Amino acid sequence: MVLALVAGLAVACAAPLIHRLAGSRAYLLLMLLPLSIFGYLLSLLPTILAGQVLSSYYPWVPSLGIHLDIYLDGLSLLFALLISGFGALIIAYAAGYLKGHPLLGRFYGYLIMFMVAMLGVVTAGNLFSLFVFWELTSLSSYLLIGFKHDTEDSRNSALQALLVTGGGGLALMGGFLLLSTAGGSLSLPELLEQGDLIRTHALYLPALALICLGAFTKSAQFPFHFWLPNAMAAPTPVSAYLHSATMVKAGVYLLARLTPVLGGTDPWAYSLLIVGGTTTVLGAFLAIQQSDLKAILAYTTISALGILVSMIGLGTAPALEAMVVFLLAHALYKGTLFMVAGNVDHATGSRQIKQLRGLGRHMRPTALAAALAALSMAGMLPFFGFIGKELLYEAALEESTTRWALFGLTFFSGIIFVAVALVLGYRIFWRKTPTPTPLLHADGPLLYLPPLLLAGLGLLLGVLPALLVTPMLRRAAEAMLGEAQTFELTLWHGVNLVLLLSGLTMLLGWVLYRATDRLHALAPRLAPLYHYGPNNLFFKGVKALPGAAAALTGAIQTGKLRNYIAVISLTLVGFVAYTLIPNGPPLVLADRWHLVTNVRLYEVVLILLILAALYMLHRSKSRLTSIAILGIIGYSIAVFFILFGAPDIAATQLLIETLTVVLFVLVLHKLPAFHTLSAIQQKPKYIAVSVLFGAAMTYVLLLVKQFPLDSPLKEYFGQASYLQGQGRNIVNVILVDFRALDTLGETTVLAVAAKGIFALFKLKLDQEERL
Amino acid sequence: MNTLILGTAIRLLVPVFQLFSLYILFRGHNHPGGGFIGGLIGSIGYIFYAMAFGPKSVVDMFFMRLYVEDRADTRSRSQQLLQTIKKNTWQRKKTLEQLKKGEKKGIHLEPMLLIATGLLLAAGSGLAGLLLQQPYMTALWTDVYLPILGKPGTPILFDLGVYLMVMGVVLKITFIMSEE
Repeated sequence: MVLALVAGLAVACAAPLIHRLAGSRAYLLLMLLPLSIFGYLLSLLPTILAGQVLSSYYPWVPSLGIHLDIYLDGLSLLFALLISGFGALIIAYAAGYLKGHPLLGRFYGYLIMFMVAMLGVVTAGNLFSLFVFWELTSLSSYLLIGFKHDTEDSRNSALQALLVTGGGGLALMGGFLLLSTAGGSLSLPELLEQGDLIRTHALYLPALALICLGAFTKSAQFPFHFWLPNAMAAPTPVSAYLHSATMVKAGVYLLARLTPVLGGTDPWAYSLLIVGGTTTVLGAFLAIQQSDLKAILAYTTISALGILVSMIGLGTAPALEAMVVFLLAHALYKGTLFMVAGNVDHATGSRQIKQLRGLGRHMRPTALAAALAALSMAGMLPFFGFIGKELLYEAALEESTTRWALFGLTFFSGIIFVAVALVLGYRIFWRKTPTPTPLLHADGPLLYLPPLLLAGLGLLLGVLPALLVTPMLRRAAEAMLGEAQTFELTLWHGVNLVLLLSGLTMLLGWVLYRATDRLHALAPRLAPLYHYGPNNLFFKGVKALPGAAAALTGAIQTGKLRNYIAVISLTLVGFVAYTLIPNGPPLVLADRWHLVTNVRLYEVVLILLILAALYMLHRSKSRLTSIAILGIIGYSIAVFFILFGAPDIAATQLLIETLTVVLFVLVLHKLPAFHTLSAIQQKPKYIAVSVLFGAAMTYVLLLVKQFPLDSPLKEYFGQASYLQGQGRNIVNVILVDFRALDTLGETTVLAVAAKGIFALFKLKLDQEERL
Repeated sequence: MNTLILGTAIRLLVPVFQLFSLYILFRGHNHPGGGFIGGLIGSIGYIFYAMAFGPKSVVDMFFMRLYVEDRADTRSRSQQLLQTIKKNTWQRKKTLEQLKKGEKKGIHLEPMLLIATGLLLAAGSGLAGLLLQQPYMTALWTDVYLPILGKPGTPILFDLGVYLMVMGVVLKITFIMSEE
């Protein structure tokens, strides 16, 4: 599995090259990757179905417990099969949809990278590797949504999706860290065993909140749902792949995966039920007001995701069964419908349902796929969607406390799904019209075969559920519930309450469909309300950000060097006082008078020199004199270094002093006149800062010298530098060998500083030229 | 500040500065010295030269002038690179004449390139350890002893990187400031 992931990343990088070499046939080559992963996963199917869990262990940073583990059970396998199978179809579909696009090769690359990231998320057996792949899905989806980078709309949507899911990712990281602290491990299998311990841990609630935040942003739950409809700016293959079947389900996967760890408590159930329920109703409600095909699909997807999340929140065995069945059914029909919408857009150049009429005659295969998928979405009898809906109703009705609320919202979204399905499967294709929308061109087999295949699968699974998917779905539910499941999926349950309710859903959905046009006429009246919706708030926030940043920068960065120095000095003094004054040892000066009496003559001379220079510095009225005096102070300090046996530092100090003077001389005549910048009243302030800083340094030095300095380091480096470092100059050996990484970091800082100075000077020049 | 005495003296002094800085660099492992100080000393020579003749003349005088082949649409990047290398090595004399006459345009290696080379050298010297399955920056030594240079090993490469980097940074900053 690790091999598959690595191979996938390699193929993703090579995709543009393959596309250039193989031309329009590249998709056949590229499809080999998802197909072979799909085949490999199928070959694992018997093992997983037998109840085994496939896990492999690949150490990454063993000292931190971070590994690239693989953990493949029923739930992972269900998702992984969906991702790789869909991936193959989408590559073929993209080849048809973006035929002749100059950047198609790059598109393949992004798509495959995304697929690998998703596979990584669902098969990861370590929280950390899961997180890394999770972020990779956010990044690659950013690239995919912003694929039409020449339109502003695309770029904004891509950035929005990245900010929302990336922000959620940060929360998720925090949640994972808390979870691993509570469970004592980063490894998923180990955490799965410790659910009881974690649920009673003090960190449980914060961890739950953060992980839920991550999952909700990814799965477009209210109030973060707004990025998903905007993400429809992406090319349709992306919408079909990311925004119906895979990426938005990553959050659902995460919640499902962590059910044994975090689930079963009241906070879990209520937060998931409330958020999921709100999302369900809101998504359905917004969907019926839309007239753009992809927007309708996006909002119904949000609604479906809400149902999935609330089912996980419910957490009972029937609810989780219903969740896995509905998840599969939804992926199949929604992927198909997205591709159908793409075909219609491709063929007619429009996605507005009011402009689309009578397409069925000329787009028969697409219309057939649309009809099949729409029937599954509406939950008609022989389709897989029917089984999904029946189970949802059953699960909702079985729960006693929240029975009617939960059923009400699944029922509500069910009605709207029926209406939407009628619009997509019937209205735009088959409703009688004297003036069918003209087609720009017919759709090719690459465009209609993938949706047909998916829609056909929806029918096939509906007819033969027991044979094809029941065992796998059982294992998937088992992964969440922790015990073996024995449910059977059958089409016909007999005439009972659920079936009657299904019929009622159909009827009401049909009524709603008849009223679609009238509803659309009403929709603009709600527009003022959206002004306060999260989408607008988001954009307002993003727009306000630069202003706020500028205000903050203006407040902190005064542009006056003395303020910066004052802040640095005062911070240091503050920290020294904070640590040393309550806990530090007392300063004993009584027996250290001999230090003062033992001062040698040349030391006194140097100190007098420095003091005299300082006095002169304050009196000086010209910049040149000040520079020269500063030089004197610097050279005196260098002499001190020599006297106390540090020739390396002394040499550096001498050279730096020389360079400073040279640099000053170079720029002297360009500097502004030498003014006294601070008023006389402000001077005491700066004197106080200087005195404080000097006092703190003196205090620390005296305190340090009070204790005998017998550090083993001196001896160690003395010996090791010759024996291991092959050099007798300890300072240099430490710099280039023992602490070489630090030196590398410092030199990098120097390089960056040089680049920065270069940029600043050039910037100023350019501005002058412009003026 | 183009005075005759400074100008004449600095012409003679630059090689001395250069040799001395290299000496300081290589003795650094056993005696006071090293890449940082060496780089500073080396750069001071050039700075004096720049003070006498202007920074542009430093670049003209001491920094290698390279000719870069324009890439025709029909040629691949590798062909362009090969052509550039060819023109700059065994056809160099001819190319330089053409450059001088202004028939072809060339580019100067700049202090920025010194910085980049230095960083690459310093960071790259650590890779040797990595290739031998040891932690990054593990020092490797040979058993040969060379006069003046001492024992060759990866820390010497690292120090050379620091030397180039420091020299590049100082020169870059000085040149920018004096150009302004």
